[in-house]
Formats: sequence, C-alpha cells, structure tokens
Amino acid sequence: MLLKPDAADSRPLHEQVAGAIRRAVAEGECTPGERLPPARELARALEVNANTVLRALRVLRDEGVLEFRRGRGITVARGADRRSELLDSARRLVADAANAGYSREELVEMIRGLK
Amino acid sequence: MNDGVNGDRQGAGAGAGADGTGSTDTAKWASRAATALWAATVAVLLLALPWAAHGRLPDPLATHWDGRTADGSMSLTASAAFPAACWAVALAAAAVARRWAGAPARTWVGAGLGFGGVLLVGAQAAIVHANLDRPDWQHARPLGPEVAAVLVAAVAAGLLGPWLAHRRGRGPRPATAADGPRLDLPEGQRAVWLSRTVNPWLGLLAAASGLGAAGSALAALGGLGGPAWALFAPCAVVAVAAAGCSSVQARVTERGLDVTFGPFGWPARHWSPADVAAARMERRTPAQVGGWGYRLSGLGTTVMLRRGECLVVRPHRGVEFAVSVDDAERGAALLNTVAARRAG
Repeated sequence: MLLKPDAADSRPLHEQVAGAIRRAVAEGECTPGERLPPARELARALEVNANTVLRALRVLRDEGVLEFRRGRGITVARGADRRSELLDSARRLVADAANAGYSREELVEMIRGLK
Repeated sequence: MNDGVNGDRQGAGAGAGADGTGSTDTAKWASRAATALWAATVAVLLLALPWAAHGRLPDPLATHWDGRTADGSMSLTASAAFPAACWAVALAAAAVARRWAGAPARTWVGAGLGFGGVLLVGAQAAIVHANLDRPDWQHARPLGPEVAAVLVAAVAAGLLGPWLAHRRGRGPRPATAADGPRLDLPEGQRAVWLSRTVNPWLGLLAAASGLGAAGSALAALGGLGGPAWALFAPCAVVAVAAAGCSSVQARVTERGLDVTFGPFGWPARHWSPADVAAARMERRTPAQVGGWGYRLSGLGTTVMLRRGECLVVRPHRGVEFAVSVDDAERGAALLNTVAARRAG
C-alpha cells in the first residue's frame, strides 16, 4: 500500500498517522478485509515510534475503519472505504465551521435542521 | 489502483524501445533457425554415419567397451536408432524447458543441446570407426583417446552454445531511473510504499523442521548421542532458512528500499536512492530462478515466495535484485521517483 503523509500537517503525530491511513483506505489503497502491514513495519516506514502507530490504529478502530482480530491481525473493516471518506468530509466541515465561528453544537443543530 | 503511475517512456526511450523490440524479434528467429539447423544436422549425422559405412561394418556391431575389450553389441539398425532417439528426447526436454522457463532458460538449453549433440555424434563416429572393416563385434578396435577427445569437444560445444545465445538475445531494459515507471508526486509530497508476501508452505516447512530439530536435540541430550546430533544439524539449518524465506517485507521510503526477511524482520537488505540505477516490475516464476526462497541465477538474486509480480532493482554496482511482492509496479515507480529526486 502507498501512504502519503502530509508534511505540512501540524497535528499530533498519531493523528497524522491515522490521517495517512484513513486517506489510504478512502483512496482504495487497502480494500475492506485486507490486512494492514504490521505496526512495526508502518512505524519504520513513517519514521515514528511503534506506540504512535498503535495509538493511531486504535483511533481508527474506534472510528470503525479498522478491525482488530486475534490471529488475523488488523484488517480494514467492511464499508470502511466509504465511511473513511465521509469521516474526512465531516472533519473538513467541522474545521470550516470553526473558521466561520460556529461551534460543533451549532453545526449539529444546523445538520438536524436540514430537510 | 494504478493511477499516478507514469508507465510511458520518454520520447528517446520509446524510440530505442521500438528498435530494441525489432532486433529482439530478428534475434529470436535467428536463434530458432540456428537451433533447428543444429537439431537436424545432429539427427542426420547420427543416422547417416552407420548407414554410410554399413557395407564395411559387422552386424551386430560393438557399442560398449569394458576397458580395452568390447563387451556389448547392438544391431546396425538399433545402433543408428538408439542415439537418434536419445537426441529426440533431449530436443523434447529442451522445448519443454524453453516453454516453461522462457527466455532465461536459453543459456541452459543452448549448453545442453551443444554438449549433447557433440557427445552423441562423437560417440557415433567413434563406434563406427572402431567397428570399421572388422569381421565381428568382439574384434572391434579398443577405444582410448577418442573418448577423451569427444568429451573435450562436447564440453567446448556446451560452453559455445550459451555464448552464442547470449550474444544474440539481449532484450531492452530501462537504463536509468528516468526510463522506468514513475509516480506523479507533487514536489514536497512524502510517500511511502509497503508490501509483504507470505508463503505458508515455507512457514510450515520451517515449523516441521524446527520440531524435528528440537526433537533430535532432546533425544541427543537424553543419551542417544551421535545419530541424533547428525539429524539435529540439517533440521536446524532447514528450519532457519525456511523461516527466513517464509515471509518478506518490502518498504520504499525517502531513504530507499528496505527488504526484510522472516517473521522477525531480520536479516535485512538496504539500498539507498543513490545506489539504485533503475527499478521495474517483472513477472517471474520459480522455474526461471531455480525454485523458491533466496535464489542466485543468471537473472541475479531473486527472493521468490510465489510466482508472478516481482520488484526488480538494478543497482549501479553488482547484480540485479528481485523480490516477489504484490503491487510491485508502484513500488518500482516510487523508488525511481525517489532516486530521480535525489539525482536531480
């Protein structure tokens, strides 16, 4: 799989790693059901600590992008490619709202008000 | 997902590629014509030699010698047909080898046909000469220096065959990183590529021989001694070698290519971008490189875990290195891009 970490990203490292994997899943680099490279390999490739990668992987599991399975390693969850894309859009929306001076709650209200 | 890979060669490269294909086609036909001519010449000589001299030969004639006296015979017909049949089998084997192993087998096929043809014709000539003008096969002349001369000639022909094949058949290859596939990356964009291959059969072999090694070590410590230790050593070697080749990980980053073996990621090999002349994807089979695992052959070094896509690296110094991993086209593209960035 091809990962494209964003060099200009100023977020914490584990969020950058999670972002790179999320983007790879959204772009179809890793298809649902496919195994992810071992965390140690990812850490060496991205030049970060293995614990940082593990933390990023846990974030992605909580988001429903990845599945941890005993004996089968870490796989991409079913439907994760679409979910991953949607999550990326949601993140951008939250950032845009913050720039425009709207809080998350106001944004949620705005979405609820949509017909 | 192959978008982003720039598979097109640049203008000059494409022109050279087209020329190269034309001359390889000619070379291929020349090679086939030469092989067919050689096959026919040998077959005709094997049949014609006894037939041409049949008026002056005993029937049966001596075909086997024990030291200086003849101790075996064949009828005139059989003595012509038997070596011709051997030659037919050799030709069939060569055709099968070419079909299964493709162009890289050319060297060995050339050597085999050169050696076999000269050996058979030489032996036939020596047999005819030894039986010429003799009343019966028991009185055939002894064979001596002829045998050595035939062997020397056969080995020389065996060396000449591959030399001719090599001189003719050099396919076009990307000469620099600029000729190979490239990845369209915006300036300053970082990218890393990861791939791994697992061969469960080699894993199983490692586990089985590991168990064997452990069992024999236990038996040896339990007092069986010698024979158990003799079993332990090969089992342990096979277990370590098979474990090392049961999985392979390839990684392309800005620091170049890293290939690590086995479940522990050790041993490992590294190429920095400055070492890499060009990278490409090539389909290879275990038959081409001589089996599974870490292979040294005419193609250079190949880490073969399954047939199919291989990432092939041509360093500035030393032989080519190939590793059988998926998505090798993009790995090669990224490696070329990294190497070109470093060079430019």
